[in-house]
Amino acid sequence: METAKLLKTIADSVLNMDEEAAANYVKQALEAGIDPMVIINEGLIAGMNQAGKLFEENEYFVPELLLCSDAMYAGLNVVTPHIKREENLYYGSVVIGVVEGDTHDIGKNLVKVMLEASGFRVYDLGRNVPAKTFVEKVKETRADLLCLSTLMTTTMGEMKKVIDLLEEEKIRGNVKVLVGGGPVSSSFARSIGADGYGENAAGAVRVAKEVLGIPQTRAS
Amino acid sequence: MALSEKTRLINVLEGKPVDRVPVICPGGMMNMAVLEVMMATGYAWPKAHLYPKDMAMLSLGVRDLAEIENVGVPFCMTVEAEAMGAQIDIGTETTEPRVASYPIQQIEEWEKLPSLTENHYRVSVVLEAISILKERCPETPVIGNITGPISLATSLIEPMVFFRALRRKPKVALDFLDFVTENLIVFARAMLKAGADIINIADPSGTGEILGPETFSEAVVPYLNKITEAIHASSGYAIVHICGRLSPVLPELKKLEAPVLSIDAVTALRKVKENLPEKVIMGNVSTYLLGKADPQKVAKAAKMSIKQGAGILAPACGISPLTPLENIRAMARVVKGDYGDC
Repeated sequence: METAKLLKTIADSVLNMDEEAAANYVKQALEAGIDPMVIINEGLIAGMNQAGKLFEENEYFVPELLLCSDAMYAGLNVVTPHIKREENLYYGSVVIGVVEGDTHDIGKNLVKVMLEASGFRVYDLGRNVPAKTFVEKVKETRADLLCLSTLMTTTMGEMKKVIDLLEEEKIRGNVKVLVGGGPVSSSFARSIGADGYGENAAGAVRVAKEVLGIPQTRAS
Repeated sequence: MALSEKTRLINVLEGKPVDRVPVICPGGMMNMAVLEVMMATGYAWPKAHLYPKDMAMLSLGVRDLAEIENVGVPFCMTVEAEAMGAQIDIGTETTEPRVASYPIQQIEEWEKLPSLTENHYRVSVVLEAISILKERCPETPVIGNITGPISLATSLIEPMVFFRALRRKPKVALDFLDFVTENLIVFARAMLKAGADIINIADPSGTGEILGPETFSEAVVPYLNKITEAIHASSGYAIVHICGRLSPVLPELKKLEAPVLSIDAVTALRKVKENLPEKVIMGNVSTYLLGKADPQKVAKAAKMSIKQGAGILAPACGISPLTPLENIRAMARVVKGDYGDC
């Protein structure tokens, strides 16, 4: 198969939630001598971006997006051992979690999937995460971006607590903060001094790139 | 002649005329226990999750102090999950109980789960609280709250595993949902037997926004209807609460057999009512406003819900325990005309 066609087949395998096909075609692409970074960017990530687009258009929902990401990871597992310098893979690093008091993490998990799919290294702190833990992890990983999520109106106040703690520790300037989740809005984000608001998983990636000054389409 | 709280609400459920819109906070996921009432009555979380009298008295306290027109228990979504094997963190005075660990990791393991029985201590606490409420306030509707099938399933297994299984192993996932539903029916029937008039089913994880219309109609609607049918067969009434944006699943909602659909604040009530004219729409006063705004603003939002066609006035979802009592009271007083005509 010619290169362009093979890459499209890889993207389609991701879009069609087919783990086995994704892994197989990535293997074929490697055997055909295609650059691993090209396989990732123009095959696997291209497919995941299309899945994200369908998600935004209400064609795909949570179960579909999860299975697309499974297919993407099946392909990534085959290709990553062939990459020499791993750090070249990443745009930057992100700390993500659901704020303290809230255990709803479906939205956070989707944002994580989409950020990883778009080339970020993601440190996931899980759910019900105290403000202090966020700040410590940002320090430890020197993260470029901190993503805070909550589904409940009752825990929105926690987001401000995290931002205030970043100020107190004098590292607010080192990291951009994005907030998201059911009750959160862009005006709420502004009111607590966050740098951005992600309306959904795909939107979060767009905003993440925006605040970090990364071009929206990845050059390959 | 003014109707009793119970007659009024039941008339609404049966499509009969009423003197005015009733106002309720059902309980369960749509919890209404606030700290001010806990302080005033001395019946507080987490004890009120574990002792029948505390549970009943806290619910009564909310009715009396917030002036809402029902009582309802429990105050969380963990009773069924604990009875079926999940580990629960019971929470604090201001944080709800939640699932701490799932009893199964793989979808195939569901057959190992224990069934819910009336003897399980969490179940028996709720049933006894219902009996106490029934006796204490016979003219007030008693609402038993159960967790919806998808939300219970995803309290027994990691949600991401379950959502994948819905697509990858639909037969196993749906069998599991059948089992979960049968257990919920056992709980609902026991609640009705103990004296509940109405069962409110809330399924925050089973929304059209998460699952999409196709999965919603295969994995949510039939199971909610099974529970509704069982409730009707036991001479009870069913309310179904669906969270999130409803626009992706408006046609599917028509297939729900429950007479009342409770919705949250992200969907315009008028639009839902227009699409489902035969249903009573319940809602949808923003819980954020209830928590943060002043009584005037809450009253304005409550009037807006009624103007848009709410047949039952209620918060859009569960309210924060830190919600000011005067805000709930403002919502409750709107139906009584204290803030002018609706």
